[in-house]
Amino acid sequence: MKKERSKKYRLLQKARIGTQIFFFGFFFILLLRTRFPGEDYISNVEGFFHWDPLLALTTAIASRVFFIAFLPAVLTLVLTFFLGRVACGWVCPLGALHQFFSFVFKKTRLHRPKRLQDNHTAWKYYLLVFILISAVFTLDVVGFFDPFSFLYRSVIVGVLPALSYSFSALIGLFYQFNLVGIGDAMIQFFENLDVNATFIQGFFIGTIFIGIVLLNMVRERFWCRYVCPLGAMLGLVSRWNLFDLKIDMDKCIKCGLCTLQCQTQANPYPNENWKSSECVYCFTCSAICPTNAISFPAKFAAEKVETINLSRRKLIFSSLLGIFVMPFFRLSPARHRASERLIRPPGALPEEKFLQTCVKCGECMKVCPTNALQPVLSEAGPEGIWTPKLDPRIGYCDYYCSLCTQVCPTGALKELTIEEKNELKIGTAWVNRNRCIPWKFGDPCIVCEEHCPVSPKAIKFQKIEVERLDGVKKTPLAPMIDLEQCTGCGICENKCPVVDDPAIYVTSIGESRSEKNQMLLDIIKPEENIF
Amino acid sequence: MKRRDFIKTVAVGSLLPHVPSSLLAQAGGHPDLAMIQGDSPSLIVKEAVAAIGGIKRFVVKGDVVIVKPNIGWDRTPEQAACTNPEVVKALVELCVAADAKEVIVMDNTINPARRTYARSGIAKAAKEAGAKVPYVNPHHLKKMALNGEWFKEWEVYTDFVEADKIINVPIAKTHSLSRLTMGLKNWLGAIGGPRNQLHQGLDYAMIDLARFFKPALTILDAYRILVRNGPQGGRLSDAELKKTVVAGVDYVAVDALGANFFGIKPEELPYLKLASEKGIGRIDLEKLNIEKRTI
Repeated sequence: MKKERSKKYRLLQKARIGTQIFFFGFFFILLLRTRFPGEDYISNVEGFFHWDPLLALTTAIASRVFFIAFLPAVLTLVLTFFLGRVACGWVCPLGALHQFFSFVFKKTRLHRPKRLQDNHTAWKYYLLVFILISAVFTLDVVGFFDPFSFLYRSVIVGVLPALSYSFSALIGLFYQFNLVGIGDAMIQFFENLDVNATFIQGFFIGTIFIGIVLLNMVRERFWCRYVCPLGAMLGLVSRWNLFDLKIDMDKCIKCGLCTLQCQTQANPYPNENWKSSECVYCFTCSAICPTNAISFPAKFAAEKVETINLSRRKLIFSSLLGIFVMPFFRLSPARHRASERLIRPPGALPEEKFLQTCVKCGECMKVCPTNALQPVLSEAGPEGIWTPKLDPRIGYCDYYCSLCTQVCPTGALKELTIEEKNELKIGTAWVNRNRCIPWKFGDPCIVCEEHCPVSPKAIKFQKIEVERLDGVKKTPLAPMIDLEQCTGCGICENKCPVVDDPAIYVTSIGESRSEKNQMLLDIIKPEENIF
Repeated sequence: MKRRDFIKTVAVGSLLPHVPSSLLAQAGGHPDLAMIQGDSPSLIVKEAVAAIGGIKRFVVKGDVVIVKPNIGWDRTPEQAACTNPEVVKALVELCVAADAKEVIVMDNTINPARRTYARSGIAKAAKEAGAKVPYVNPHHLKKMALNGEWFKEWEVYTDFVEADKIINVPIAKTHSLSRLTMGLKNWLGAIGGPRNQLHQGLDYAMIDLARFFKPALTILDAYRILVRNGPQGGRLSDAELKKTVVAGVDYVAVDALGANFFGIKPEELPYLKLASEKGIGRIDLEKLNIEKRTI
């Protein structure tokens, strides 16, 4: 028998690698373009997320609102219904990344594929059930596991900052060796890229990312096989694949290469065990087959396809887990009382709705021009981990900016014009007179007042008299907060010269989005004080 | 000593033994200050420069000129928190016409530079006129001897020291601590380090910086001035249209004249009084030769 590989499928394989590179590049370019574009409004840079049916479904279930921008996700489902998990194999940028590293690990013998007959690929389906059931009970954990959220967050909080750090070290070297021209050019280049490089959780999120990538040494496309709930969802939908695997048994020499090299354990050999719900149509099997025995002919009649074996017991168990885990997420005091340092970005929905809608992707953290938005660790309870908060010690909410509200893919931050944004309060500033330079020592300062961006200023000053240790009386101008004007933007805290624990600081109280996190009686002010 | 340091030292040294600039001005037979009013920011700048001797008096062929406007805030020109872009543009055009080798426009901003450079309109205007408009580069910061009375050393962007000529283009604004911010305070945008600490001795800092930075020319942009909520305003009503620029070599004198826009006498401003006492510049406006015109 003539031994010959299929040219057609090798070509298709190359085309697939091409589209993977294309979509990965596209994703990355959109990511890099998620920055201040030189004008106030930014074009659609969060589009990728709207093709993700998992995010669409879970946020809709959890928040009981379908966000209209998610309409393209329906198209993904329809395509998957007819074509199978093509999106996983040809489009998904995280899939491409995993596949690239799997390829590298295989080439370097860090990973030696084994023929596996186990049923562990079912785990992602149980995870999906867990996510969906907990969404029914208003708990939204999809952001931790959704591939787009995971990739975007990891790249902008971990990978890009790390690269940026490495490059600044490199640039430092150029200056050390007096190559000023090269240094200057690189500095201006990176300035224009506008990468936010400071993240409280950069280490953790970056390490998790590296860990997940390294898992490709254990199994090829580990994430896609065992974890990805979006892959599971698409697997469930791919019930009527137009293209089914077919092995010409006359040609097959039963070498098993196809199943050994299968990226996602779809078991191409033997034919009758092929799991269409696992196949991502990468065409590795058909391209690698030494006798050109494997093909994917189109069929036009619906027939039952072999799918994943899901244990009913485990399905019930993961549903129950979804139900019973939910209360554990709700034990945090964050549910009952606002946390003072949980300053949400402008346009954030009320906390409960926000947690049901935010998918922790990090778009807002990427676009923030001052690097102010940071992933939360503890302030918002367990379900709020990696949701955004404004940290005034790192950055502040720029007065003429509403970019974060424009790039939020799920509407957890309501899209606002700059005028609308400036009507909102995200918190309130407080003066710590015990640390404030004029209040405490009588020296002039009021840096906070100078930086306050609202007009008339929310930070006013009064002349005070301070007796210093040496008995000298000083009369500096000292800051006071005008509650009605303060928006909580945090520039005062950011610029305060008492850098370690600023003498002026912002807490979340008074934020417009909350009914409970208020301190002042909201009544029409009486003409005269009757007391 | 590294070559770069040597060049810097020479550059700094050459700036120090300056003859009081107002004397130079009189020697050339030019007025000390020119105050020109008119509808076009560009035309009044060009007229003002012409009135005090023309750009060739300040920029010679082959000079690297650095123009230092105020681009500190994320505000539009109408809000009068940053120097008027047309004023900057006119100056760049003049320098290019005087065969400057390179014209650089830069400022150490307060809000993110990418935002202020864009919203102020200065980056676009200056680029159109042929200037380079880079952001400040932290690698160009160098601790330098200010040789001041209060500040011995501070981090300075070497761009401002290495350029052959500096042109100072502040905008006239109110400020809650120094009352007004004009030419002298503009140098806080040429330095790095913990600038927010300077507020604890702002008047002294301004004096020491004025001793250090010796611009060839200062143009005070008072096309719009900020009369309330300084130094960044916000509402359009915080700004007032004056349609004027003041040009001069002695920028203490320029600031003294600028104080008039706010109805403040120069000697009421501690930093101007101090500058005059220390002999850095003159504030006795009645004795200065001022050319005032409306075009």
